[in-house]
Amino acid sequence: MKKAIAAILALVLLAAGAARAAEPPKDPKSFPIGALLAMTGQASFYGQVMSQGMKQAVDEINAKGGIDGIPLEAVIEDHKGGGGQDGVAAMNRLISIHHVQAVLTSFSAPTIAVAPIADQQHILMVNGGAVSPQLVGLSKYLFHNRSLSTDLSRIAIAYAAELGGKKLAQLQWQNDVGDNIVKIADPLWKKDGGTVVATEAVAQGATHMDPQVAKLRAANPDIIALWTFNPETGLALKRIRDFGMKQPVIGVDFTENDAKIAGAAANGFHFANDYFAPSDSEPWSKQFATDYKKRYGTDPDFYAANYYEGVYVIAECIKRARAKGGDYWNGEALREALLSNPKFNSVYGGQMVFQPNGVALKRTALFTVEDGKRKFVKFLEAKE
Amino acid sequence: MDLVLQLIVNGIINGSHYALLGLGFGVIFGPTRITHFAFGPLYALAAYAVWTAAVPLGLPLPAAAAIGIAAGALFGVTTYRLLYRPFERRQSPSLVVLIASLGLFIVLENAIGIAFGSDTKVIPNFNADVILLGPVVFTSVQAAQVLALITVGSLLALFLKRSDYGKAVMAMTDNPEMARIIGIDTVKVATLAFALGSAIAAVPAMLILLKEGATPYMGFNAVFMGFVAVIIGGIGSLSGAVIGGLTLGLVENLGTWQIPTEWQSTIAFIVLFIVLLFKPRGLFARGAR
Repeated sequence: MKKAIAAILALVLLAAGAARAAEPPKDPKSFPIGALLAMTGQASFYGQVMSQGMKQAVDEINAKGGIDGIPLEAVIEDHKGGGGQDGVAAMNRLISIHHVQAVLTSFSAPTIAVAPIADQQHILMVNGGAVSPQLVGLSKYLFHNRSLSTDLSRIAIAYAAELGGKKLAQLQWQNDVGDNIVKIADPLWKKDGGTVVATEAVAQGATHMDPQVAKLRAANPDIIALWTFNPETGLALKRIRDFGMKQPVIGVDFTENDAKIAGAAANGFHFANDYFAPSDSEPWSKQFATDYKKRYGTDPDFYAANYYEGVYVIAECIKRARAKGGDYWNGEALREALLSNPKFNSVYGGQMVFQPNGVALKRTALFTVEDGKRKFVKFLEAKE
Repeated sequence: MDLVLQLIVNGIINGSHYALLGLGFGVIFGPTRITHFAFGPLYALAAYAVWTAAVPLGLPLPAAAAIGIAAGALFGVTTYRLLYRPFERRQSPSLVVLIASLGLFIVLENAIGIAFGSDTKVIPNFNADVILLGPVVFTSVQAAQVLALITVGSLLALFLKRSDYGKAVMAMTDNPEMARIIGIDTVKVATLAFALGSAIAAVPAMLILLKEGATPYMGFNAVFMGFVAVIIGGIGSLSGAVIGGLTLGLVENLGTWQIPTEWQSTIAFIVLFIVLLFKPRGLFARGAR
């Protein structure tokens, strides 16, 4: 009997041992990481800084020997900042030609369009730039390390409420991102007795917004809200001041490109943004910013930081998946690796946690523009 | 009432911009009948030339402006001689030339993006004065846009009516075959038309550089509006192009008075549609087919 038990035990241990050793990891020659960015088109500033952040991360990781000796490869495809069609074409190229298993994505419209493809082909997607709340829960493979526009607008409205004044005029992006922000901001403002005296829309990519600004002026608001992104934010700020309007302006985004376009007109603009501020107390943020400045000659903004961070998130997932062995180089394994421990180091400092809905909460803050540069004002609680 | 006045003023300002584009495009299209899509990126190149002269090279604005206009003319002439002329010599159908122009459009736009980067180029520390006239407000750059139309339009009209070359351009616009028969050197006149049209285009280009900055993709809107202005006004009629441009500007701005501004870009096309429905050759067409 004892011998039998011993034999069975030995067999069990052997089997367990064998399962442990499992299959050796099926390594590819390299890990191509895809990116869907706006490399051309009116919003190509975003593609430029996002790709810079991404490439810096890839080079850094490869300089340290890649992941267990296997190098990463950045494969960037252009969706022109446009609609779903270009996004789908770009995604298909990434999958069929470059065989990526993870993709960094940007812009809401193309991301919404490629989400079904990610589901079908099991591709992990990390979004560091798109802001539409429609993206939440769109695909089980889609994760976000960026605050959504609706959260940002809540903070902007909270600040507007602090300023006093009852009449709000809104200039929105003429697409679902703008629509979603207005859907949240509008009732939020009215809840405490405010009125919305004008809501105008400007197409993404349009430079001519005189009629919209003229109508905003005619409505005589106390505060103006810009629910737009680069470069329309910069253009709008300039036109608003060109039209002689002196009211305070609030918004949800402001990039270096907007600063260039608006010049002095941007001073005093208050906006809510992801709080990326390199500091000595957060060594990774400092190292990233210093190296970025050395490589590209400009200070990084949080868009560059998000895509730099996104590569590291994917790299961490690859590492975790590879440790399990077997056929790990696929989106499904990477996704499981992410969910197995949703805590990741953040280049902003500290750690970020991916919520069950796929969004990693980041600190957001109120900024203002002084002398053409963004300046941190304070952390503000979003208005509910 | 204040809003309507403001919208009318904005309409005249934007209309002047479109009118200038129409003039530039029309001066080329009239005599040569070439659908010069590359007009767009060449307009953008002129803006970049002004920017390059003013910012990296640090020249004063008037000098940069002169360089921009000269560069514009040079680019236009080069395009004609190197790209279109070989097709003309082979008597290629106009469709082929159109495709070639489209190809150049795409190549140039992206070349500008690669060479200069995709961020917006502005003239730093340039602040236009804001002028208040009763309920209406506009900036000095916008006033310059209207003045530019008046100046360039008058000069062009004088040139076309009084000088020999100007009359040759009008002759070619009227009837290219006849012009050749009576001994007008059509190649020389076409070269002149390209130089003139491109130089004219450089003027609104640099005003837009001052107003909102230059991007590699600014050319599409320019050639599109210029083309529409010429079609509304009638091919061959330069006063038509001016009226077409002003109409476009006014409709674009006034049209959103009661209609939500989301329809802004649609309105321009509705106007084009209506005009062509009743006057298929444009409002003031001249010249044989």
